[in-house]
Amino acid sequence: MHKEPSKVHTISIFTTALDQLRSSVLKMSSLAQLNLKNSIKGLLERDDDWCNNSIADDEEIDLLEMQIDHEGIEVMSRFQPVASDLREVISSIKIGANIERVADQAVNIARRARKLNEHPQLPELHLLDHPIRLALTMFDDAVRSFAERNDALAVELKSRDKELDQLNRELTDVLINRMQDDSANLPSYLNLIFISRCLERIGDHACNIAEDIVFAVSAQDIRHPTKQL
Amino acid sequence: MTTEASQHPLELTNDFAPGETNFIKVDNFKFFYGKKEALHGINLEIPSRRVTAFIGPSGCGKSTLLRNFNRMNELIPGVRHEGDITIHGTSIYDPTVEIIALRRRIGMVFQKSNPFPMSIFENIVYPLRIAGQNTRSVLEETVERCLRSAALWDEVKDRLHDSALGLSGGQMQRLCIARAVASRPEILLMDEPCSALDPIATAKVEELIIELKKDFTIVIVTHNMQQASRVSELTAFFYLGNLVEFDNTRKIFTNPSMKQTEEYITGRFG
Amino acid sequence: MTSTAAHSDKNFFSADGKGTSVFRLFRNRFLTGLCIALSLLTLVPLFSIVILVIQNGFPFLSANLFTQLPPAPGMDGGGFGNAILGTLVMVGISLMFSVPLGILAAIFVNEYAPVSWLASAVRFVAKLLTGIPSIICGVFAFAAVVMTTHKFSALAGGIALAILILPTILLTAEQALLGVPYAFREASFGVGATPFQTIWRIVLPEAMPAIMTGVMLAVARAAGETAPVLFTALFSQNWIKGIMEPTASLSVLIYNFASLPYAYHIKLAWSASLVLVALVTLSNILAQVIFAPKHR
Repeated sequence: MHKEPSKVHTISIFTTALDQLRSSVLKMSSLAQLNLKNSIKGLLERDDDWCNNSIADDEEIDLLEMQIDHEGIEVMSRFQPVASDLREVISSIKIGANIERVADQAVNIARRARKLNEHPQLPELHLLDHPIRLALTMFDDAVRSFAERNDALAVELKSRDKELDQLNRELTDVLINRMQDDSANLPSYLNLIFISRCLERIGDHACNIAEDIVFAVSAQDIRHPTKQL
Repeated sequence: MTTEASQHPLELTNDFAPGETNFIKVDNFKFFYGKKEALHGINLEIPSRRVTAFIGPSGCGKSTLLRNFNRMNELIPGVRHEGDITIHGTSIYDPTVEIIALRRRIGMVFQKSNPFPMSIFENIVYPLRIAGQNTRSVLEETVERCLRSAALWDEVKDRLHDSALGLSGGQMQRLCIARAVASRPEILLMDEPCSALDPIATAKVEELIIELKKDFTIVIVTHNMQQASRVSELTAFFYLGNLVEFDNTRKIFTNPSMKQTEEYITGRFG
Repeated sequence: MTSTAAHSDKNFFSADGKGTSVFRLFRNRFLTGLCIALSLLTLVPLFSIVILVIQNGFPFLSANLFTQLPPAPGMDGGGFGNAILGTLVMVGISLMFSVPLGILAAIFVNEYAPVSWLASAVRFVAKLLTGIPSIICGVFAFAAVVMTTHKFSALAGGIALAILILPTILLTAEQALLGVPYAFREASFGVGATPFQTIWRIVLPEAMPAIMTGVMLAVARAAGETAPVLFTALFSQNWIKGIMEPTASLSVLIYNFASLPYAYHIKLAWSASLVLVALVTLSNILAQVIFAPKHR
């Protein structure tokens, strides 16, 4: 399918408005990426400062979500977009909501990490390495496919989500067994389970973002492929 | 998805349930104003009891094609055509077809409303009178039926014998619609019927079109793409005398197949 | 922006103060006044004719003038009833020929075949013939009718007048038809009317007031012409007995009597002039009333 429209709108303020909406989403996504990395850093390096930064910077992301909603509605009411423009505006609004959830999960991770940092480090912390890498790359790829309007990359994201779900299940089982053996560190094990859940959710949201990108670029609805409208 | 929209048949997507699929069939139709070829080989099948919209920039040929359905273009000297247009299986150029009879089976509404300089009553019964029908009761029944169909009855029922020229712009256009349906045509052709009307009058006419499609096959030429997406079920996009794309309106306005269509409807033309 | 005391009449909309605004205003008023004055001036000859005719003709008016025959030279008494009748008859004959012909030709030229060579030829010839001297019409009718029938007659007079006014009627009818908006015809064809139905039901009725105006102009001209009537219908001291007989007419009567040295005949000439002007005006008013547009 044709990707980026090659010509500009006859009404230049329409192009400007669409560009503005797009750059708001890009700004929000890069802030979320940064916050997520900071949270992970705070977790792995056991440094509360990174966690606190992440929690503090979340407010700006929330404001951006509202801004994206307002800009999107304004484009729709002023310019009555159709076809690719319409799909892009609707997707941008939905992607904004998903990025906000990712940022919320980053905040949750930061909070859990602070709790973990109060206790001695558990060796099981490194079981999170693979899910962390997966979740981070999934979110990074989702952001990149939005920036590049790359629907092929977005389609490929969905398969990685299954892997992340599987990892989360396995990790939860392992940690539950450890909890029975080592009941003194019960709170820490629980926090690790929660963090794993947050990572799994981040993967889900990255998937949602990918579905919205595919819809915007190629008008296909790849959610729930087994069910027909 | 095919690339040459003007070659593919009526390949419409999912939920379209046609009446009679090829009620109006345009077959490799070319049209010339003198030496100038205004329409290049149009292939199109318009189904019955649906609203089909023709869109495209000025000079693309959409009005030209519309006015060929009832052979109104032949009022212009020096025109000729190649190819064929059939309605309900009969070619409109068949020697046994009388142009007068053809035009009585097809109603036409023009861009600028053109009621006759007569009373409202006489305007509507004019098509009947020219066909020889002068019985008072039939005429009165027709006037009420048509004015009700045009959502104008309540506004004018007490002044049927006043001059039609005293109506507002929107009322005049609805009167023209009432006149167009007086002889119970099967097809209604509308050439930019709302372009001279204010938004409220436009909305009333659009509501009317949606009501009327239960009984008529409607083809509407419009410059206003939002109007096309509101009232029509199928849309044909023309450009420089070619049919670029023809599909369900929903598809055209959410995900058109042809890049030109996308550029036109999103306003990236030129 | 605005200063206070001295230039208190200046505001956002004031003139640019170069003095040109005063000149512009004056020039505007002067030209408007000039137009009004000249318009009034054009009314002067019109009104002065009417006033003169009324002044001289009215005092002498009586019912006798309409019912009696003209007196012999030198005699008193009598009227010009036969002249009035004769004018009416000849104008009537001329209209009988020229109106249907003119209107139908205009319909052909404008509705049926506007771009054909025939239409162009008709238009061209009609324009040419509007300038034909009235005496030539008389000469033609003399040759065509008087010489073939071997008599002077009202018919010949009527035919001469018909030739005179035909081009005018044709051209004004064509203009009247052109004045009917094309939208009406388009709407009529759109509902499946034939060209004839369209013309008969829509175009002609709509154009009728303008056509009738043209006809009335033609009537005014025909009623007043002397030359074509002079040697086709000649003159007569008696009431008209049939169209194949010579007849009196108001224009010839005025011509004859005005040059006589008898006061009575001169008074008759003035009264006849008044009657002629009144006749033409009356027919004009009647035509506007009968054929007025019904709905504006």
